[in-house]
Amino acid sequence: MSDPVRQRRLWYVIGGVAIAGFVAFGATSFRKNITPYVGFEQAKEARATRVQVAGELVQGSARYVEASRQLEFLMKDPEGRTMLVRYHGPKPGNFEEAKQVVAVGSYGDGAFEAGQLLVKCPSKYQGLETTPSS
Amino acid sequence: MTRRDILLGALFLWMAAVIWAAFLWAPAAAGFLGQSSRIVFFHVPTAWVATLSFLVSFIASVQYLRTRDPRWDVRAHASASLGIVFTILATVTGSIFARIMWGSYWNWDPRETSITFLLLIYAAYFALRGAVPDPERKAALAAVYAILAFVTVPFLVFVVPRIYWSLHPDTIINTKGRITMDSRMFRVFMASLAGFTGLAAWLYDLECRIEALRRKAEEEIL
Repeated sequence: MSDPVRQRRLWYVIGGVAIAGFVAFGATSFRKNITPYVGFEQAKEARATRVQVAGELVQGSARYVEASRQLEFLMKDPEGRTMLVRYHGPKPGNFEEAKQVVAVGSYGDGAFEAGQLLVKCPSKYQGLETTPSS
Repeated sequence: MTRRDILLGALFLWMAAVIWAAFLWAPAAAGFLGQSSRIVFFHVPTAWVATLSFLVSFIASVQYLRTRDPRWDVRAHASASLGIVFTILATVTGSIFARIMWGSYWNWDPRETSITFLLLIYAAYFALRGAVPDPERKAALAAVYAILAFVTVPFLVFVVPRIYWSLHPDTIINTKGRITMDSRMFRVFMASLAGFTGLAAWLYDLECRIEALRRKAEEEIL
């Protein structure tokens, strides 16, 4: 261990292994915890727990129930399953253009009862007047 | 007038033009609520400058460990400070945009979670610096930590947003590598990136000089 070059090289190897280990640890431990969005099945199992569910808004399924002042619509997950969502609250301003939504609430009574609705719009950085050429 | 003054004047004019163009020359984008798309001209450059600063901090830290020259420690510290300031700016502008477009300031979207990790990781860098009184030990430990911290940056900034579903709008350069941006918006966007990079370079230069003076003053006192 007296040779400084060898010692330095050893430290590089130890450093490299430590960094690789750090990356691997980070990648695996963050995987599950980094996203708050749960699947439909998980939302149903969670019952009264407040969860966030993300999914596609089934086009044309949204309807406003005047009597109960609720917005009802169907949400579709990547596997094509649908879930009824009942939302209590003011309709988000950009709901009409929404393709994907996040419903925050809990599952109960045959539908997902959402207290909050987050909207993802198919935003493209194109001007309002110009038609996007695809 | 020194060369520095001329560059600073040019930077001031450039940023003024960018701000004017961002609000008045570029069109508002379709699919966004109202004028909210204009935040892209500020939010993305702050995130870019933050990433760049962390990269500079990483390089300076490697150089410090190789040379043990305290000037590299000053550079690493200055760029990490800038990195955290611009990360905070990106977080704040992002949160404002989230309130307008998604309907919530904060809902722990993967983007919000990953930037929180980034802030905590670099906050620990400053905590570490504050905890070690001996300058040489402080510099060496901070350099090792900055190298480890930077390892997480590509993961948190580039990988997470591309593998998790997020409410965040698609990245400017999409997965196909094509830039889908209106030409006026794109020009303002690139000008803003350049302007923010210049702004960060100026702040970096300033911070390094202040820190050098501070250390010199300390030496004189001791």
